[in-house]
Amino acid sequence: MMRTIEVSIVILILAVAFISATFFAVLPSPRQVSSLSLGQLAFTTLQVLDTGQALAETVFKNSSDPSWTDFEIALSACLPPNIVYNLTVYDLIQTGNTLTYSKFHSITNSEGGLGTDSEASSYLVTSTNVTFTVTPEKISGTLYILNCSDANGWWITGYTSQSLAGDLYDLLSPYFNTTIMVQNTTDFGYLLDGTKISNFPHENVTNAIILNTFGEAVPIPSSYMEYSEDSFAEYCYALGQRVNQYNWTLVSIVGYPLYYVSNTVELVSSQNLWGIYGMKDVGPRGLSAFLQGLANKAYNPSSDSIHGPFFVANLNTWATYYSNYYGIYPSPYQSSTRSLPDWILEEYDLTIDAEYGYVFQQSGEWIAGATYSHVGADEKIHGAFTALGLTRTPDVRVTALALLMYYRPTLYKSEFTLTAGERPTQRLIVLQLSQQGGS
Amino acid sequence: MTGSTIDHLVATTAFIAAILLFIGLFTQTLQAAILYQQNRHVALKASDLLDNILLSPGYPYNWGETNATLSVFGLQKPGVSGYVLSSFALMRLISLSGEPVEYPRDSGEWYNNISLGPSGYLFIPISDSITYETASRLLGVNGTYGFQLSITPIVKVSISESQSNPLTLKVEVDGPGFPLSGATLSYYLYRSYNTGNYASLELLTGTAQTDSAGVAYLNFTFDGASESYTIVAYARLSGLLGLGHYSHNTYTGGAGVMPFVVDYEKGKVYLAHSWDVHDQGVPVPAYALNATFFILTEDFEFQEWPIANSTAILNYGSKNYEITTLPVGCPGFLLVTYRISAVEYGMSIMPWGIGTLAVSTVFGDNPAGNVWAATDLRQVTIDQMAYQAEIICWSSQGYQVWNPGTGW
Repeated sequence: MMRTIEVSIVILILAVAFISATFFAVLPSPRQVSSLSLGQLAFTTLQVLDTGQALAETVFKNSSDPSWTDFEIALSACLPPNIVYNLTVYDLIQTGNTLTYSKFHSITNSEGGLGTDSEASSYLVTSTNVTFTVTPEKISGTLYILNCSDANGWWITGYTSQSLAGDLYDLLSPYFNTTIMVQNTTDFGYLLDGTKISNFPHENVTNAIILNTFGEAVPIPSSYMEYSEDSFAEYCYALGQRVNQYNWTLVSIVGYPLYYVSNTVELVSSQNLWGIYGMKDVGPRGLSAFLQGLANKAYNPSSDSIHGPFFVANLNTWATYYSNYYGIYPSPYQSSTRSLPDWILEEYDLTIDAEYGYVFQQSGEWIAGATYSHVGADEKIHGAFTALGLTRTPDVRVTALALLMYYRPTLYKSEFTLTAGERPTQRLIVLQLSQQGGS
Repeated sequence: MTGSTIDHLVATTAFIAAILLFIGLFTQTLQAAILYQQNRHVALKASDLLDNILLSPGYPYNWGETNATLSVFGLQKPGVSGYVLSSFALMRLISLSGEPVEYPRDSGEWYNNISLGPSGYLFIPISDSITYETASRLLGVNGTYGFQLSITPIVKVSISESQSNPLTLKVEVDGPGFPLSGATLSYYLYRSYNTGNYASLELLTGTAQTDSAGVAYLNFTFDGASESYTIVAYARLSGLLGLGHYSHNTYTGGAGVMPFVVDYEKGKVYLAHSWDVHDQGVPVPAYALNATFFILTEDFEFQEWPIANSTAILNYGSKNYEITTLPVGCPGFLLVTYRISAVEYGMSIMPWGIGTLAVSTVFGDNPAGNVWAATDLRQVTIDQMAYQAEIICWSSQGYQVWNPGTGW
């Protein structure tokens, strides 16, 4: 009997242990196993509602303003139906060294409290009155970006001309009245003939900027294939003449300018000596012929290479200034292996403005990157040429900086107009969310 | 002696029975606790995984705009902070929502199909797309966790024909919670009209406001049944932006002209004759097409952008496609209008970047067969459009994670 009593005691102990364990080791509710991250949901909801600063505009309006109703509808619409919310807006008031939070307005879709399972996120907004805005002045000349689908680039390793064209569009189009992507060599041919290629009202072929994204190559239209003398150096000469005639600014983004011509249809069986088909090797004669064309000199291209040795090119003082002004920050130190000698200035009647022409400091006789303007007999500028003799791969921010330096569009910056104590400039929004239904 | 034996027998039997009973009871409690812990861990992993995907641009940063091989997976728009996603990175993900399409037929070249509904197409070469296995490996969850990521617009803008002559379109604007009443609606209606060999586009624009049920009616003066048109309408209310589109074609004999992105990095697009995709029998019509690309501006307006080879006549057997190029990294949409006869026209639309036409996409694995999966949600913006990113995550190893017989 004794053993039975002992076992009964053991069973009793086990039962008590089990009941105690069950009583104290309470598992959280199933919802807590996998609840939505309500805090994150609240934060991202506020962030989405602040797209275009819409939230900042609303919360600084009077609490009876109709925009609060719109905001309430938008908030309800973007949360899942089983989520209830409580949104409170606080004024931030600074008195001396003390910052106090004063409740300004509150909206909710829950009659009672949100319960202990709720989570909240806060979001600080600044009045749109104190938001700093920048509006660039528009350059009147048309910006043409060569984006020809029937040409290949060289020395743009790691990129395609099309991706560079897209990046340059993003960087530069805010500064121009009209920016046009030249989609094929045929359209480029029309430009060389002085014909518009779009129905954009402000397109103007004269005084335009031609941005060559093809690196050391330049697209050649089918209609210009007859300019084939000296491995198409004759075409480069014609190009120089057009730059002079239409007062263009031609931009070479990297390497030795005009070293190759490219047209994937007409030159389908030619390659650039490095296995890239659709290209023809013009060699140093391309640049020589171009400069002769630009300077209105007789055609007599030289096959001598005129680029300088390797050196590290440093942004010059003015380039650094404009880099800060436009907020474009390429590395101030760049590798240059295709700089041009300064004797070309005299040889081809070129000039570089000391303030806005040089991108890099001149190293001895070598110019790593600058915009060369051709001054005609009438002492007016007839065409310009931006040559960035840097080593591949190209950084298009240098190109953008060089162009902006040359044209210097003004940035109109908004002013801080609010007077101290007029009204709070910052408000804190707290969005508290909770799930309804279930346990 | 007998009493003692009986005592021992009763005690031993009761002891063994009690031990077995309590082992069972304690095991149940422990099992529930282990499962809870495991599921909690999966839920945390879901949240963690979602933030990893949404708050990193990946590497290379601009992988969404190139054919680059990924070394880090992430969908955040490069150069932007917060939950703002790259609409081009999302285009490179292999979608679960549409069946792959082979183009040309029997060529063995397959395209990822992000479904848009009638007349809306988005085909990206599978060879240029990112697979779930790649993403899973780069996220470090291959073999341990599975996931499915859904990116859907918060605001749903549905357009339907309410009356054909004169045309009245009904636009319904809804969020996941409630209809969007009082939303400002702006629309672009592109209508085909005949100008010689090719159809041209007439643009009609306007604004309206949704009523308390989130509905607005747009009235036009032409007969909708006898005209081909495409309307793109967007609704805006207090920072929330949603978009919908609808096309009506007078030609119903086939899919017409179908755009295929053949070289993603260069933005090269084939405007293909549908005969190369589905042979719908004779007669096979010729399509005189006119393609226009509209770029999305910062002010959320669609501006025409000139593209190469925008007009062509497609004739199966002799010229099955035309090639055009879209600007890489610039979101917008391609609208192709094609003429079959003086009275038969059709239109196809293709988004360039998934945000511009409020396209949804589902990426990942199928959770069917798993016992338990966790979900989490974030609100994100893509090309200024409000989207929800929802993840479903499950464990691929551990205790009671997979039940092939019963599903989940």
